[in-house]
Amino acid sequence: MGETILKLDKVTKVYPNGTVANRDINMEFEKGEIHSIVGENGAGKSTLMKMIFGIESPSSGTITYKGEEVHFASSLDAIKAGIGMVHQHFMLIPSFSVVDNIILGDEPKNGIFLDRREAVRKTQEVSDRYNFELDVTEKVSALSVAKKQKVEILKTLYRDAELIILDEPTSVLTPQETEKLFEQLRSFKKQGHTILFISHKLEEVKQISDRISVIRNGVSKGTYRNDELTMEQLTNLIIGRDLESDIDRYKTHEDFHNEKAAVIEDLCLERNGKPVLDHVSLAVKKGEILGIAGVEGNGQLDLVRCITGLEKTKYEGKIMICDTDTSGMNIKGRRDLGMAYIPEDRMGDGIAGPLPISDNMISTYYTRDDINTKLFMDNRAIDRISNELIDTFAVKTESNKTSVDSLSGGNIQKVVVAREYNTRPKFMIAEQPTHGIDIGSAEFVHHKLIELRNSGVGILLVSADLNEVMDLSDRIIVMFDGQIAGYFKNARNVTDQELGMFMLGASHQTPEEIGGALND
Amino acid sequence: MTEKKQKINLSITNPKVFEVVKMVISILIALAITLVILFMISDNPVRAIVTILTGPLTKRRYIGSVIESFIPYAFSGLAAGVLFKSGAFNLGGEGIFIISGVSIAAVACNQLTTSGVLHPILCFLAAIVTGGILMIIPSFLKAKFGTNEMVVSLMLNSIYSGVAMFIIRKFLLTTTTSTIGSRDYFKTAKIGYIFEPLRISPCLILLIITTIVMYLIMFKSRLGYQIRLAGTNPKFAEYSGISAFKLSIVTAVIAGILCGMGASCQLLTQTSFYLPEQSLVGIGFSGMLLSMLGRNNPIGIVVAAFLIKYLEQGTSILYFVDRAVPSEIVAIVEGIVILLISSQYFLRGFREKKLLKEGLEKDAK
Repeated sequence: MGETILKLDKVTKVYPNGTVANRDINMEFEKGEIHSIVGENGAGKSTLMKMIFGIESPSSGTITYKGEEVHFASSLDAIKAGIGMVHQHFMLIPSFSVVDNIILGDEPKNGIFLDRREAVRKTQEVSDRYNFELDVTEKVSALSVAKKQKVEILKTLYRDAELIILDEPTSVLTPQETEKLFEQLRSFKKQGHTILFISHKLEEVKQISDRISVIRNGVSKGTYRNDELTMEQLTNLIIGRDLESDIDRYKTHEDFHNEKAAVIEDLCLERNGKPVLDHVSLAVKKGEILGIAGVEGNGQLDLVRCITGLEKTKYEGKIMICDTDTSGMNIKGRRDLGMAYIPEDRMGDGIAGPLPISDNMISTYYTRDDINTKLFMDNRAIDRISNELIDTFAVKTESNKTSVDSLSGGNIQKVVVAREYNTRPKFMIAEQPTHGIDIGSAEFVHHKLIELRNSGVGILLVSADLNEVMDLSDRIIVMFDGQIAGYFKNARNVTDQELGMFMLGASHQTPEEIGGALND
Repeated sequence: MTEKKQKINLSITNPKVFEVVKMVISILIALAITLVILFMISDNPVRAIVTILTGPLTKRRYIGSVIESFIPYAFSGLAAGVLFKSGAFNLGGEGIFIISGVSIAAVACNQLTTSGVLHPILCFLAAIVTGGILMIIPSFLKAKFGTNEMVVSLMLNSIYSGVAMFIIRKFLLTTTTSTIGSRDYFKTAKIGYIFEPLRISPCLILLIITTIVMYLIMFKSRLGYQIRLAGTNPKFAEYSGISAFKLSIVTAVIAGILCGMGASCQLLTQTSFYLPEQSLVGIGFSGMLLSMLGRNNPIGIVVAAFLIKYLEQGTSILYFVDRAVPSEIVAIVEGIVILLISSQYFLRGFREKKLLKEGLEKDAK
């Protein structure tokens, strides 16, 4: 150790919308270390990594790699130089085999033809050298999430990456899978690779890192040896204050007891001949939060699409919202019954980016009487309502006419939540409601969800963040492979290890136990 | 809160200010380039540019010609604006103009009524119905079969001009000349002038009313809100419960009606018989350019239409004074302006530098 492999000197990045993502960042990375970069969501970690990997170029400052100043024009240059990156969202072609995915862009050739045998041999060799336990001829679509991640890592190793950037690698893994990944990372370190580990889960960071760099609001708060920092000091560095107590839980109001906001019975959905939802039954009661845990891609997305009416494929089963059968209804009809929906894909589904905040604040109830006159829309009322919502939800903006895509992720999410809140819902679907936003905004969103619950709204919470599900929910369902694998009547009496077993498919409850999701 | 609202950012970092600055600079650059070209080809370049810019104002007849000729282009631009704003890349305006011309000719060449008021109105109605219905086809096929509306609409343009030729030849062919065109309209179908020296006809009044209505629709009505939403993010519109299908049909009908009105204005004031290969050719396509120039804003589009026609008039006057300057020079001005304002990168670096500075200042607090 001791040899510097990568050095950042006064690196600054300003995005075209004026956001300063990074400011005068100085950092050094040593060969053969596991170096974590921590910070809140939106602190500027991802931007920094994108600059190292050549996806973005710094507005000013220099990056020195192996003693030479580098200006990567694209990630291709970075890969050639020996830098690999595993993105939070996998960059794989599902219909290709593992080999095809790995060699793509760097194929072994035999004259002008692809040398398939050599490709398989070389890929398998790299895989075996690092104990990946992968069959490289398998199709990627058939692999589990953890295995897909292995393929991503293998892709970087195949290209002889010495420096590997892992962007939030554990966010899609169960606790058990995370443990395995860490073993692997330690073995990479022994073989001389440098690991840049990005995460906002501090326990994991403490567990794996040699050194830790902290970023807050785009500014570096220094690099520390892991053993010289306590958890409290680290938290303090990251958010600049002590973390407040957990979400205050109110008691569920008895008034709403057993009134159902939504009932789903025997929901089945097939996609390309494969069942993605398999006899899912559950009920969301008024005044409760029903949490759905599970590794991404186990049917949660399809479930939400069916309930909201966005799914185009015909499903079987019954979906009742506020005691009304919704069969044949589109999303408009279901919203009219009292459904609200915070979508996972905030930028894609949740906003019209270039339009002002005021337009975005009313889209789901723009026909309502209080913002319309007979012929036209009442712009004064729209201004009033959007300004009120900006105030109540503490959206940081200069005016309600600012285009929504110039806000930070956390503030955009507040706009989405404020709008859905103002639809006066009876039943709300909250899909990854705090994914990728800063702690302050996340806390705020959590409080609003609880406030809604206490006022009698039934909330279906879908989240890949186990802590979120465990903190907010009254009851918990675990989904695995399109089915409900486990149901927990009391969210307070369950551990993350226990949930992890169900998320992995290692445990499965009996139909009677699972039936509680509908009947309790 | 109220103080915050009042604060208007007049710096270039405000996207609206940026748009205006970009537009003005684009026009100045285009004129500068024109001047350079004039210096190369003309013996008296200064007189040439002055003629282009002020020529149309020198005679009532000239400005009257601008007023009369820009009207159909403005309608065409409004139609394209609605379609583009809603996110539909429907380039069918050209074909709709030509085929509505057939409907107009069919009504105008038959003495359906002897009233000089009713006859033009019937012509308008025929054109509006034709346009409104036929414009739906690309949107309908897209929604129901997933076809590409741009390909379909371009294909339909060719089909419609063929159909127009066929109908005129078969049913309305003139017997007096050998050209392929319709018979003369009955006099009752023609639209007269309200103020002849400036060639002001009821069409101008119709255009003004239409522009105001379109402005209200786009910026004040629920329909305009839906169009803005669907045009900026169709997934978000769907998520919000707006039916993309219904919206695409409604916008297509509106655009078709506007094209029909434009075609009627052109034919009933400026022609006395219909030549399908000539009378309305090019207006639909020009409308799309005007829509880009006017940034899909109804008022911007109409102003752009007037300015372009004004410049065209200026250069054609120049042609009488200075034979060295071809009247096509106006196409250069048009081309450069459209290129510059539609360019994502033009002036972007300048704006980003400003933003960088502002961002850092704000960040430093």
